Amino acid sequence: MNIPGSGILKGMAVTALNFVGSFLDRAHAKRLITEQYPEERPTLPEASRSFPFLIFDGNPETGIRCVACKICEKECPPQCIYIVQDKDANGKAIRRPKVFDIDISVCMGCQICVEVCPFESIRMDNIYEVSSYDRFSALVVSKDKLLKSNEYYHQIHPTEADATDARIEAARVKKTATAKAAAEKAAAAKAAAAAKAAEEKAAADQAAAATTTQPEQPAQ
Amino acid sequence: MNFLENLPLAAKKLVLDLVEAACKWACAKTGITLPDWGLSLILSLVSVLLVIVTIIVVYLVMFALMSVLERKILARMQNRYGPNRVGFFRWRLWGLLQPVADGIKMLTKEDIVPRGADKIVHFLAPIVMVAPALMLPAIIPYGRGMVPIELASGILYFFALGASTELAVFMAGWSSNNKYSVMGAMRAIAQMISYELPLIMSAVVVALVAGSLSPLKIVEAQGGSILNWFVCTPWGFVACLLFYISALAEANRCPFDLPEGESELVAGHLTEYSGFKYAIFFMAEYVGMFAINGMLVTLFLGGFNAPAPFLSFIPSWCWFFGKLAFLAFSMVWVRATLPRFRIDQMLQFAWKFMIPMSFASFLSAAAWCYSGNAALAWALSTVIVGVPYLVLGRFCFTRHHAVDNRRYLYSE
Amino acid sequence: MHDLLQYLTSRHWEPAPEWLFLIPALLMLAAGFAAVVLRNLIHCALCLTLSFIALGVLFIALGAEFVGLVQLLVYVGAVSMLIVFAILLTPASEVAASNNPFRSFNLSRALNAAVGGFIVLLVLGGLLAAIAFSPHAQAAVLPTTAATLKPAAIGQNLLTQTLLPLQGAAILLTAALVGAALLAKEEKQS
Repeated sequence: MNIPGSGILKGMAVTALNFVGSFLDRAHAKRLITEQYPEERPTLPEASRSFPFLIFDGNPETGIRCVACKICEKECPPQCIYIVQDKDANGKAIRRPKVFDIDISVCMGCQICVEVCPFESIRMDNIYEVSSYDRFSALVVSKDKLLKSNEYYHQIHPTEADATDARIEAARVKKTATAKAAAEKAAAAKAAAAAKAAEEKAAADQAAAATTTQPEQPAQ
Repeated sequence: MNFLENLPLAAKKLVLDLVEAACKWACAKTGITLPDWGLSLILSLVSVLLVIVTIIVVYLVMFALMSVLERKILARMQNRYGPNRVGFFRWRLWGLLQPVADGIKMLTKEDIVPRGADKIVHFLAPIVMVAPALMLPAIIPYGRGMVPIELASGILYFFALGASTELAVFMAGWSSNNKYSVMGAMRAIAQMISYELPLIMSAVVVALVAGSLSPLKIVEAQGGSILNWFVCTPWGFVACLLFYISALAEANRCPFDLPEGESELVAGHLTEYSGFKYAIFFMAEYVGMFAINGMLVTLFLGGFNAPAPFLSFIPSWCWFFGKLAFLAFSMVWVRATLPRFRIDQMLQFAWKFMIPMSFASFLSAAAWCYSGNAALAWALSTVIVGVPYLVLGRFCFTRHHAVDNRRYLYSE
Repeated sequence: MHDLLQYLTSRHWEPAPEWLFLIPALLMLAAGFAAVVLRNLIHCALCLTLSFIALGVLFIALGAEFVGLVQLLVYVGAVSMLIVFAILLTPASEVAASNNPFRSFNLSRALNAAVGGFIVLLVLGGLLAAIAFSPHAQAAVLPTTAATLKPAAIGQNLLTQTLLPLQGAAILLTAALVGAALLAKEEKQS
């Protein structure tokens, strides 16, 4: 017979067992899965993204991939990127940005700048502890803070980084292959042209030799 | 140990002696001579103030600890940690200083009063709530010789003050100029009034057997061992359960916390209260909960009596507060286990189950008192209480009303 | 040493000092007056509750602490709730919701109120005098000693000498409860 109230007692037994178990049996997988932030940071999934950053290969001064083409500045929907191209000693524009600012209070993380960059130089970072007490100027991140190495990129997005490196490598191989083929073709064309010129010269010489021997025979 | 047992009383006597000495020294210094009644007046005032301040401080400290321990215990029952960060300088102290942080937060919040609200009533509602709540602990015997006020009809005093809580709830709900607050207040009052009856009937059952309305006499009637406690009798057990459930309902605790259900009606009658006034309501609810638990300990769990005579080296006030702590833990335990009642389920439970059961326990107690020998008393009172319990439990909650005859009033 | 404390916390104050009577009496008068004069009905109900509380305190000050506490329990806890619910659930509640505490002073209204109050006082006083000084009442009233004001003595009296009024009150309350349940029951559509 179902005694009224027995269900409540069973429920209370479950809760009590939970209570005792949470002290004694702490290592169980289903217990106490709380992450004690900030002592334990969460493991973010690989594709998580927050704000953009710039990649350099090797040296932050010379290995910077960005050429200040300003495509990302034009394509950014909230217009949070500000780029100024660098000039060399003579005042001629060179392919490097002097100023590269991203306002991360405006950036919405849409990744369009990443999609349109032709030089694989801007990618999405996954940092989330960027709050500051200043609402405006502290949230405009400048170039020196945005530049991070390719090894860092491999660390946070390994698959993407491998794919990007493979693409860059393939592009470089293709470029050298086409350059070599072009060089070979040019050389071949030059050789052919040289051979043809030599042939024409030989033909002209022969023709000239033939005409000089021709008038002596009719005098006899 | 006698020393520990008399520690609070000895401390009080020490303070009064110090005050007397200070008065005499001040009189000698300044040359003013006090009349006879002057010194005794000062000492009486100091004594009364000492008792009041001690009660208020103890209850507020218990409230603060309870608010954090409840969250931690609730969390542990739900397989998570509770608040475990607020500490002191570098030490985390298991998060036990959380009430300090909560208190600072509540005190620094802006006190918003709606424009159309009735300002006087809106202001008075927390006061009408908290003043009786702080007067409730005055008649509870905390230890041997430690009743703040010894009233002949102490139990009646307790319930008279508890009844004025409903007035405060209504004032809070109505003065907020918010129809959801009024609805929440109506529901809260309906709940409180419905559960007052089993509460008072259970207390009357104890008064019947003990022959007095004075809490001290009731505790003395349960002296000896644990078997003398009223909870260890059939009628006492049922009355204790009824009192406990009604206490949950009176204090608006889960599973009866519909008036302050956070997922419905915003916060019910407390919607328009912010900052300190909300803290006052919160505090009044917890102090009321402790007071009603104290009354339960007094009425059914033997008050400050130890379970066995050989255990009385632990002082009586320790036993009292230990039992109170156990009851508070059990209230948190019940909160972690049960979902919230709907208003109609709640009222049905009160009127169809609890009131008949309280009458049954009354009859059972009467049978116990007037039976000749102990065996007859046990048998008769168990039967008088057990049969209605089983019958009512099975047959009073008929569910076919709600499913079959559901009428949708405005759907056509 | 603490005679005053003992005096204040002893169970029966007899005789009570006069200032102990004046404070609740004046409070009750003021609350009653406000209950009649205030414009907002809910405010009137709350002032009426205050007068009930003052009456309870008066009972306790007179030494009848049981009656005083029952007054607080029943009147403040239940009857005032009833009054408030009645105000809220009747159609005049739109008038109740107005917030103006005091209407402007109107001489003729004030005079009317004064004359009416005087007449009521006369009638009630006469009734009270008639009851108090009738020979039947003098015989039946219990001497108010410490013993007779104990809850046990009151209970004994209720269940032996005044049993019939008690049962009458019980029947009345049962009828009210049944009537309320009947009124609140939903009408079954045929």
